[in-house]
Parts: sequence; structure tokens; C-alpha cells
Amino acid sequence: MAPATQFEVAQPPNDAISAIDFAPEAPRFLVSSWDKNVYLYEIASGSEQATLINAFEHRAPVLSVCFGANQDEAFTAGMDRQVKKLNLVTGEQTVLSKHSEPVRCVVYSSEHSLLISASWDSTLHVHNAANLSQPHITIPLPGKPHALAASRTKLVVAMTARLVHIYDLPTLLSAVRSNTQTPPQPWQQRESSLKFLTRAVACMPNDAGYATSSIEGRVAVEWFDDSAESQARKYAFKCHRQAAPEAEGGGDIVYPVNALAFHPIYGTFASGGGDGTVALWDAEAKRRMRQYQRFPDSVAALAFSRDGRYLAIGVCPGFETGMEDYSGEGRTKVFVRELGETEAKGKGAK
Amino acid sequence: MGHKKKRSHPDLEELLARPWCYYCERDFEDLKLLISHQKAKHFKCERCGKRLNTAGGLSVHMNQVHKETLQCVENALPNRSGLDIEIFGMEGVPEDILQQHNQRIIQNFYQAQAERAAATGNPPRGHAVQGPAKKIKYETPEELKKRLAEHRAKFAAQKAAAANGTAPQVPQADGAAAAPAPFPAAQPPAYPYPAMPPTVPGYPAAAIPPFPPTAPAGVYPAPGAPPVPGAPGASFPLPARPPGAPGAGAALPQRPPFYNGAGAPGEGPVQKVGGDDIDQLIRMAEAGIKPQAQQQQGEKKEEGAAAGEKKKKEVRMVYADTEVSPEEKMALLPRYRWVEEAAA
Ligand SMILES: [Zn+2]
Ligand SMILES: [Zn+2]
Repeated sequence: MAPATQFEVAQPPNDAISAIDFAPEAPRFLVSSWDKNVYLYEIASGSEQATLINAFEHRAPVLSVCFGANQDEAFTAGMDRQVKKLNLVTGEQTVLSKHSEPVRCVVYSSEHSLLISASWDSTLHVHNAANLSQPHITIPLPGKPHALAASRTKLVVAMTARLVHIYDLPTLLSAVRSNTQTPPQPWQQRESSLKFLTRAVACMPNDAGYATSSIEGRVAVEWFDDSAESQARKYAFKCHRQAAPEAEGGGDIVYPVNALAFHPIYGTFASGGGDGTVALWDAEAKRRMRQYQRFPDSVAALAFSRDGRYLAIGVCPGFETGMEDYSGEGRTKVFVRELGETEAKGKGAK
Repeated sequence: MGHKKKRSHPDLEELLARPWCYYCERDFEDLKLLISHQKAKHFKCERCGKRLNTAGGLSVHMNQVHKETLQCVENALPNRSGLDIEIFGMEGVPEDILQQHNQRIIQNFYQAQAERAAATGNPPRGHAVQGPAKKIKYETPEELKKRLAEHRAKFAAQKAAAANGTAPQVPQADGAAAAPAPFPAAQPPAYPYPAMPPTVPGYPAAAIPPFPPTAPAGVYPAPGAPPVPGAPGASFPLPARPPGAPGAGAALPQRPPFYNGAGAPGEGPVQKVGGDDIDQLIRMAEAGIKPQAQQQQGEKKEEGAAAGEKKKKEVRMVYADTEVSPEEKMALLPRYRWVEEAAA
């Protein structure tokens, strides 16, 4: 068993990280940053380093990035309200649609060749990525979206006021193909299992359910199937908290859980928090499997490579209540952890 | 210990003298075997296979080499997987656990004897003739139960006071196989399993899956809190040293220091301890350069809260706006604000 290794990426973004995504095949990943750039890194196997291949400057801070159908295609979204296709070979940027407020997230469904963007204008745009000349459809949301994730057949949108909508991706695909005038309805509407503002959503690789996290150091795991039996399985737990020094009155400091990512093979998941830690959880056995050494700042984003071999960790100062100024400059870092063979393997239920 | 008697049934003293493993209750011919068992079964790094001498050593190794935090001792019985107790061979086994173990051996011994007597019709050997066995008070099951209950209460109280335990976890299958005969029924876990914090709003109470006592697979309520300087409970009770380790030969390995070389990153300076003064080593561990044990405090506190501790805890949320996300606030800062350029 090769020992797990972890290294820091040499040329990190210059300001806070908003998202990380791995390519479908190659060991390369994208990092979007508030410094208006999207960074493309490639991990040189066995060398314990990742090389910056290119940085793609945008007009405004980039709030989200994801790969498309292959390792040369990406989609970005940001403060300038645009959803763009980014050609990673030529650097060409193509505007796909425009929201009326900044665009918080983009997600690509490879199974359905759909690109979905979620904006603070409280809409989703759904693009047929297989045929981008086709017009996108707009789905109105009951609140501002804060997190977005897709499984094989489902799309989970977490919004303000603890609203969660789950859409059926085949339904979205047929809607965008037929260019329907009536926006598709959510497959399910739920109230968040967490009392506080949702920070992140991630879907199980087996298409069975998802995890959400909130600003209040907590993670919930639940299942798509709305039978009473499946719903009875859902649970939530506290995490990413620290005991405050007794000298400061004791009690707990509660950090936001900024990032969640499921391991694509084992179905275990990682959480990253404002406390600068990353923990690995066994969703089935409901136990924490691992906790990695504390990073120097808040964990902003997490992504597993599609083969589950690497975990990329975006670290930068966290935005805390009462901050009147913020900068991630000089403190933004990207770490890559090469996982041991069974590092993310759960022990199973019971 | 005197001469070895060649008999099919070992006498009680011999049974009581056998070294045994705190983590899995297996007993061994001699202390060296016990120590190599512990290194192989309980202190082996699952990443690189390195065998360390103690759980503390493994914790530091995982931290330094693999940048990971050891969660618990592998292959341990439920309630024995904690990192708060530093075990090396027979050293460090808490007094009450030691007594529980002895009590069980005594009970099993007399039970086996009674069974043999019932089978053969012979009077139990030893009661009237054998010296050592006579000195040991034979308790009725009721007395034993009561005594164990007292031990448990005492242990629980110590636990609560020290508040640096680790949540138990399910032993691995092979660990379970290695475990000895099951504990007598009168010996439930010494402290409660951590419950999932029952905190989810909008969830029916039944929605939180209960953890059956046989499967203490609780999600750990909180990832490691940092060491809390000066916090009460930082000093866990000094583990009682067992009375003269049986079978201790001259060639016994020394109890190693907890820390090989530099301390865990982010921790205070660590004194390098040489020599073999075991008491000093234990005291050093007690004095606090023990990231794992201290780290567990936070978790233990959470467990307490989860277990229904009514005391309202002071909680400070680092980010507390329940409607507006941190990104929306950042978006308003001049540094990041986007202003649509005049139509070009
Ligand atoms: Zn053992
Ligand atoms: Zn190792």
C-alpha cells in the first residue's frame, strides 16, 4: 500500500477560491477564483506536483467552474452574470447566456449533456450542451440558489429560506430539446434538513441521495426516494466545530461547512470547513473515517478526481460575520492529496 | 511466580498472571508476545504498515508522515479503542479495567471448576487445600454485579472528569474474531456510545437512526478540536500501573517515548525524553504534549451535549447570517463588485 501523499500546488490563485472541478479523464483540474481567473492544473503522476497549464482571465470574479464533455471544454460563471463556455486549448470564451444577477454555480451533467447555471436572480438556465445553438430554458426558483449539484439523473438546488428543489435531469433534457414554454416543475420540493443557510450540496455517485451542509457546522445526508422507509434513513450530524478556550468563556466555535464531495468509487464523502479541516465520512456506517491535518485557512472547495485517486482542496481565508473587508490575497492555496488505495473506502453499514 | 505445574487445568494464580491485551482482552504466554501482538494488531499504520509501540506513537506517525489524524485504535473492543489511555504491554491499563478483568477470570475459573465438579462428582479442587486461591474472595454473581456496577460508576465518573475519551467504534471483523470469550452479561459498556446529535429541525424524532448498542457506529460529533491550553480536564488520570508485570524478563523492551523526535506540527515544543523512567514518560504524557488526547476533549464535550446534557452551551457561529451567503457579501465589496460597462 503506497503511503498517501499530499502536496501544495506551486502557483495558486491570487485570491479566494470559488470552485474546483476535475476533468473527466486526465488528472487535471480547474480552479475558479475571485481574482477573475480560471486556473488549469495538471498533476504529474508520481512527481508530487501539479503544474499550472494555463490561467484564463475573465471580466469579473469567477464564482464557479466545471468541465464539460471532455478535458478541453469547461463552463464558467461569475460576477459578470454570464455563463460561458471556455475552450481550454484555445482560451476562447463563448457567452452562452446572461442572467440578471451574478451566477453562483454551474454544473454539467455528462449523462444528459446538460449545462445548468444557478443565479442570484433566482433562476436556473438549462443548456443543451450537445447542441449549444439550441436556446436555453429558464426555470424560475422560489429563492436565491446557493448550491447546486447533479447526480446521474437528478439535480439538487439549495436555496435561501431552506428551500431545496430536486429536478429530474431527463425531464430537463426533454424540456430544453423541445424548447418548452412552460418551465419544468421540480421532481420534488423539500425543506432543508438543516436549520441554517445551506453552504454546499453533493450527490451520491450511486444516484441514491445527497448531502447538504450549512453555515452552522452541520451536515445532513438524505435519499431521493421519498418513501417513508427511505426518508426515515436521513440523518444529520455536527462537525467542523472547535471548543473555544475556557479563557474566552468556553463553549463552541461553530464553522460553516463550505464544501462537500463524494468519492466517486466508494461513496464516502469529504467535508471541508471554515475550521480549516477536511474530514472523510462513511455515509452508510455514519462514522467519521478520517480527519486530515488542519490547513492554514478555511477550506473553500473540494473535488475528487473522477477515478477517486486525488482530492483537491482549495484553502483561503473564510468570510466571517462582521468583516468589512476581505481579501484572500497571499493566503490562497491549493493542496492535492493522493489517496491511499483504501483511504476513502468505508467499512460499510452496521 | 513459582514453578509451572503440569496440569490440564491451570490454577487461578497462573491464569491471573497471564499478560493480556487491554484493547482486545486476549491473553498471552508472556509480555513480549503481548507487545508484538499490540504492535501488529493495534499500533500498525494502515497506510504504510509501520508498527509503532503505542497508540500515541502511531498518532504522531500518522500526523507527521501521512498528514492524518488517528481516530481510534484498530481492532479494539467497543469502549477500548480510545486514544486517551496510553497502553504499552500491560502498562497503562486503568485499575478498574484490570480488576474487571481479574474478576472475570476468577468467575470463569470457579464456574469451570463447578462444572467439572458437577460432571465428575469430585469436590472442587483447591477450596480447602490450596493457599492462594483461598485468599481470593469468591463473590456471588450478585456481589459481582454490584461490584462491577461500582467500577463502572467510578470509571464513568473518571471519564466525565477527564473528558478526554474517544468515541468507541466497531471493531473490525478480524478483531472480533481475535477477541476472547464474550464478557459476562453483567459487564455492559463502561460508558455510553455517542448518540447522533438529535438536533435536526424539521425531523421527526424517529428520523434519526438509533445506534444499536451492539453497533456503536456513531458519527463522531466533532472533528478534532485544537488543544485547549489550560482547559480543565487536560490532565487525565494517571493510568494505574499494574502490579509487577508477570513474566517480566530482563530482555523486555523499554517503554518507548510517545514522541519520536519533533512534536506534532502545530503543537508546542516537545521535550525529547531519553532514558527509561516510565513514570516520567507517563507524567510527560499527562502534562499535556498529547495532541490526540486533548483533541478529544472537544468531541467528548459534544458527546455530553448529545447525550442530553441540559446545560446550555455557549456557541459562537463564525458566520451567522441565515439569509445572505458569504459570497453575496463578498460580491458587494468594492474589490469584487462588477459594474456593467457602458454599452460598448
Ligand atoms: Zn489486542
Ligand atoms: Zn505510516
